[in-house]
Amino acid sequence: MTGEQRTDPRLSGRQRTGAWLPTLRLVRLYAVGRRVPWALLATVVCAIGLRLTLLGHWDAYGALQLPLIFEAAVAVSIAATVAGPFGEPERVTGRWLPFLRPAVTVALTAAAVGLLAAAGTGGHLTGGTLDVLRNVAGFTGIGLLCAAAIDGALSWTGPTAYLVAAVYALYTQWHPPALTTPWLWPARPPHDLGAALCAALVFACGLAAITPRGARDRPGSPAAT
Amino acid sequence: MNIEITGLTRRFGAVQAVAGVDLQVGPGVFGLLGPNGAGKTSLLRMMATAVPPSSGRLRLLDRDPGRYGPRREIRRRLGYLPQNPGYYPGFTVAEYVEYFALLKEVPPARTRTAVATAIDRVELGDRRKARLRTLSGGMLRRVGIAQAIVNEPELLLLDEPTAGLDPEQRVTFRSLLRDLGQRATVVVSTHLVEDVAAACARVALMDRGRIVFHGTPDGLAASGDGQAAGDTPIERGYSAVLAQARS
Repeated sequence: MTGEQRTDPRLSGRQRTGAWLPTLRLVRLYAVGRRVPWALLATVVCAIGLRLTLLGHWDAYGALQLPLIFEAAVAVSIAATVAGPFGEPERVTGRWLPFLRPAVTVALTAAAVGLLAAAGTGGHLTGGTLDVLRNVAGFTGIGLLCAAAIDGALSWTGPTAYLVAAVYALYTQWHPPALTTPWLWPARPPHDLGAALCAALVFACGLAAITPRGARDRPGSPAAT
Repeated sequence: MNIEITGLTRRFGAVQAVAGVDLQVGPGVFGLLGPNGAGKTSLLRMMATAVPPSSGRLRLLDRDPGRYGPRREIRRRLGYLPQNPGYYPGFTVAEYVEYFALLKEVPPARTRTAVATAIDRVELGDRRKARLRTLSGGMLRRVGIAQAIVNEPELLLLDEPTAGLDPEQRVTFRSLLRDLGQRATVVVSTHLVEDVAAACARVALMDRGRIVFHGTPDGLAASGDGQAAGDTPIERGYSAVLAQARS
């Protein structure tokens, strides 16, 4: 290689791009194989739904509880992407999967928080962006834990059950005795540190659970044993 | 030896799937025979580093798969086709094989060629852009074989690879197996003895988690005593060895 070629910024840029292309291609194939585009589409639909909902006039219950439904829905769609269709041949490949799983999940969660927060901009989104961030992260963490412990196809069960508990916790704010534990973070104010820490911990545990092996295989499949 | 196994066991709850296997396998095509439930798949899954052994010693490609670094190195050099591999129906044949090439860290400069070569070797070159949802069961099986060989593995593990293939495809596949066996250790788990007779240099017969015969296909055929069930010498040998092991 000549000195002229070494100093050509276009060539070095192309070489850098070339080095990244296989990684980008791998990320794309991983994402497509796990239906990440569908999860993004579901998130967009939820954001539009939230926006339309915020156009209405709701009492205090509705204003607090309705956004939770959309936050739980995006979390379910994110957790569903942890399960892949490829089984053991994919699992016994090299080093990439333990990086791809958490990276794609974090990226999806960030996109979901951004979209829902944008949908609430200018509307009467109770709690604001901080509330969305905390709740989506927490719900997603529960979904990830379910995917790792039960089955990717059943990852919706945890967030759905938690949604029921959270809605009830919000209800008790007006019908004492109120449930004030930080583990029911949707019932806590957006700036509550304890609730934020609990949601962050659950999200971190969910990520840690899916990183090494992904979602648990469906019981009965050979790979589940 | 590319596979060295000593006293290997594997339990799934109360079930003893593999009950103390000793085996050494070098380059070439090695057949793993046995009836359903004999422990072939469990043994193959341990060789594929998909499940760890309950006890015993396992070395693959001169490395210990129980440790992270060596296991990663083994996996880069491994090809594995289980009985029921999963497919994303929206992928094309080329995308599916390329995904595994990238996961197995095939050098970027070689990825495109490796994918094309693997697809051509399973005779799906004209279907490389077809979506997996449009393929027949036999074609999907061949796509699975293509992903297993895309990284030119030194250790290739195939579980019932000819299931779903028509007779013509099976003959072609045996030829591919012999070709792959020139450069790698190929372990084929099957209950089709004719595949073993046609393609394998060495064979082991498993029953109830143990190896009850280890030798050549001709040696297995010679074990038949004329009274055992079977249409071919190797089938009679297979039946005779199993009957003797169970008596």
